[in-house]
Amino acid sequence: MENGPVQDELTALRASAELRTVTDTIRDYSIVLLDPQGVVLTWNTGARQIEGYAAEEIVGQGFDRLFTAEDRAAGRPQTFLTEALRTGRAQQEGWRVRSDGSRFWADEVISPLRVENGAAKGYVKVTRDLTRRRQNDEHWSEERTLLTVASVTDYAIFMVDPEGTITTWNLGAERAKGYRADEAIGRNFSMFYTPEDEAAGKPRRLLRRAQEEGRVEDEGWRVRKDGSRFWADVVISRVNDGNGKLIGYTKITRDLTERRRAEEHLRQAEERLHLMIESVQDCAIFMLDREGRVATWNRGAEHIKGYTAQEIVGQHFSRFYPPEEISAGKPERELEMASSTGRFEEEGWRIRKDGSRFWANVVLSATRNRDGVLIGFTKVTRDLSERKRAAEEMAERARQQSSAAELGLYALQTAQLDQVIERSMQTIRETLQIDDVRIFRAGESLPPGARTVRIHAPEPDAEYGFLAASASRPLTPNDVGFLQAIANVLAVAMARSQSEEQLRRAEREAAEERGNTVRVQEALLERDEFVSVAAHELRTPLTALQLKLQGLENSGGFPQPKAERLGAAVRQTERLARLIDRLLDVSRIAQGRVEMAPEIFDLAVLVRQVAEDFREPAAQARAALELQLPEKVEGSWDRLRIEQVLMNLLSNAVKYGAGKPITMKLEELDDVVRLSIADRGIGIAPDDVDRIFGRFQRAAPIRNYGGMGLGLYITRHIVEAHRGTISVASKLGEGSTFIVELPRLSATAAAGRDKVSRARA
Amino acid sequence: MTAPSCGRTVLIVEDDADTRLALAEVLQDVNYRPLHAANGAAALEELRAAATAPCVILLDVMMPIMDGKQFNAELQKDPALSEIPVVVLSAHADLDSAAQQMQVAGFLRKPVDLGALLATIEQFCGRE
Repeated sequence: MENGPVQDELTALRASAELRTVTDTIRDYSIVLLDPQGVVLTWNTGARQIEGYAAEEIVGQGFDRLFTAEDRAAGRPQTFLTEALRTGRAQQEGWRVRSDGSRFWADEVISPLRVENGAAKGYVKVTRDLTRRRQNDEHWSEERTLLTVASVTDYAIFMVDPEGTITTWNLGAERAKGYRADEAIGRNFSMFYTPEDEAAGKPRRLLRRAQEEGRVEDEGWRVRKDGSRFWADVVISRVNDGNGKLIGYTKITRDLTERRRAEEHLRQAEERLHLMIESVQDCAIFMLDREGRVATWNRGAEHIKGYTAQEIVGQHFSRFYPPEEISAGKPERELEMASSTGRFEEEGWRIRKDGSRFWANVVLSATRNRDGVLIGFTKVTRDLSERKRAAEEMAERARQQSSAAELGLYALQTAQLDQVIERSMQTIRETLQIDDVRIFRAGESLPPGARTVRIHAPEPDAEYGFLAASASRPLTPNDVGFLQAIANVLAVAMARSQSEEQLRRAEREAAEERGNTVRVQEALLERDEFVSVAAHELRTPLTALQLKLQGLENSGGFPQPKAERLGAAVRQTERLARLIDRLLDVSRIAQGRVEMAPEIFDLAVLVRQVAEDFREPAAQARAALELQLPEKVEGSWDRLRIEQVLMNLLSNAVKYGAGKPITMKLEELDDVVRLSIADRGIGIAPDDVDRIFGRFQRAAPIRNYGGMGLGLYITRHIVEAHRGTISVASKLGEGSTFIVELPRLSATAAAGRDKVSRARA
Repeated sequence: MTAPSCGRTVLIVEDDADTRLALAEVLQDVNYRPLHAANGAAALEELRAAATAPCVILLDVMMPIMDGKQFNAELQKDPALSEIPVVVLSAHADLDSAAQQMQVAGFLRKPVDLGALLATIEQFCGRE
């Protein structure tokens, strides 16, 4: 009020009886003048009706007392004025407070008055109570009221006469309907109606109702000058003169198109959002009120948590938490964090209706109204159990694979099957966390209820046995796969162990075989040694016996037949001595102890000499000895041994070729000397030919040679010791020819060794 | 080789009594004078006690107390005895090398043929 001119003007305005009259007649709108600071200057009937104050109570007070305490604290009244001044118009919907303290939802428009140099001289505040419709018979009594509201641009405010002819027009009307005052005044207001409404007589009907009821309100389509339609809220009030006579109607039209569109959008958006939220199945999306009680519930929530909306709405959300977290105050703490920071997110265990737990991702957001007042929380919960389970399963599987791989390595490095088995059992027990795991042989009955896997054998469709695991928990396919992996390691270890066992057995048998051979050899050596010792021992008594008999024979003087008997005894002791010699020869040959003493001599001389020695026995056998000898056959041989050969062969020939001539032949063939001794006797069967000159077999019992005498056996070895060969050509009944071939220089390394003269029996 | 005063004496060194006796008998039959000893030690005693050395010693090899080899070695060490010829009489045909080392005058193998024995002995006594 310090501003002089403004004050003056406003005072004048306030003083205007006309204005007062006009505004006073309006009962559905609080129309109030404010000074630049927001102090109430005028107070109309509508204001009293809507906001409850009498003019004297409020005029001179700041209009901010009409706001809620929160709004006042937030400085909203002042913001409102500033906004109006800046934009030329400000509109708000919001809570306002009546004089009795009750609240109403208001639609309020503030317009600045006479703006000059960026300052307003005042404001017009038009407030409408949207909380309830009021039945009001107040009339517009003054045509000029419209002047007052000329500056109101958000409302088309105009008057019509009783017939509906337009008599006044304001800026709001011009803006809403597109007509200028001169275009509108004088025409019937029915031109604002759609052809259909007009044809249906709606304009006239509305006027009649206003006349009868004092006031009529209508929402519906109206038509602008350019033919476009807008959604309008229309209030028509009857206006009487001072005598109560009808002088016309005030008509206030508000263009609700924008609002309607916005509302429609909002409605649709909300509906879509609602539908969307409702239809989401994978996420629980629901709201909590400020105290944490469930306010809304969607299908996903029902799906995840198991409660129906009916069951859960109104319940505190802490029931979704495990008991230990409830007692730790976690739900409340989360609400606090969400309200202080706006948002809270975590992963953790939650409880379903049936008591089961699931691993959840939870986002809790504080929800505030446009004034920032906390009205509740939005909670979005996702069930991550599957994902968590999959991750855990993968980790478990990796762990199992690593265990199996380690075991495989161990089995590779460990030859002992029992150790591999023990380690396998340990690995299974530790990895699967079970105690009862056993190996069963193929064919054993398996424990009922155990999971069993086959321990394959190398042969197809064969098995060593089974691995059987019993657990209180169900074994997963992963677990069974792990068991099979272990069973395969065992199979390999068992196969290897079996092969090794076979190998060891074979080795053992081979060793035994070797041992046997050694024992046989030892036994043979022992026998040869025994023969040798025995032969020597026999010689001692034989020496005494032979000397005594020969001594008796030499002393003579025995009459026949005693002398003859004595001679036989002497011959038998001599034969016994030869047998002992042969026995010793065989023994030496068997022990590889045949020593050669080569010397250079004339073999032809030796043959003649031996033949001479055999002259008598040959004559007794009526076998003529024929010799075919070169003059001289020199070579290097063991004379005594060769003599033995000649004697053996010749004695055989005399023995088996009795009655037929015997031919001894000596030939020189380059480096070889061939001796043949042929008889025409009984001959030798082909089978026996093989036998007498078969390869020397150490294990062969010497008695097998007995049938042929020891002579040929010894002969063969003497010849072979000279690196010669002996063979026989024979036909049964036609006789045999023994052929000995000796290298002329058979000298073995015994050369240079002086001979001790030996006397032979 | 041998002193003419050996008087057909032959020393028989042989542990087997029967063989020793048999040898003595057959030698006595043909007018040798056999002396005998059961081992090398006894033979050495016999030799040292005897007034005259024997014409030849018939020596067995394997004997208790002192075997033929030791006896021969002792014999060679004694100048009074080393000239006496020794003929080894052994059951072991393989003792060639042993006999060689002993450097004896002859070698006869048991069982010894009486003819061969007398022929050998006669070589050493026949001069007389």
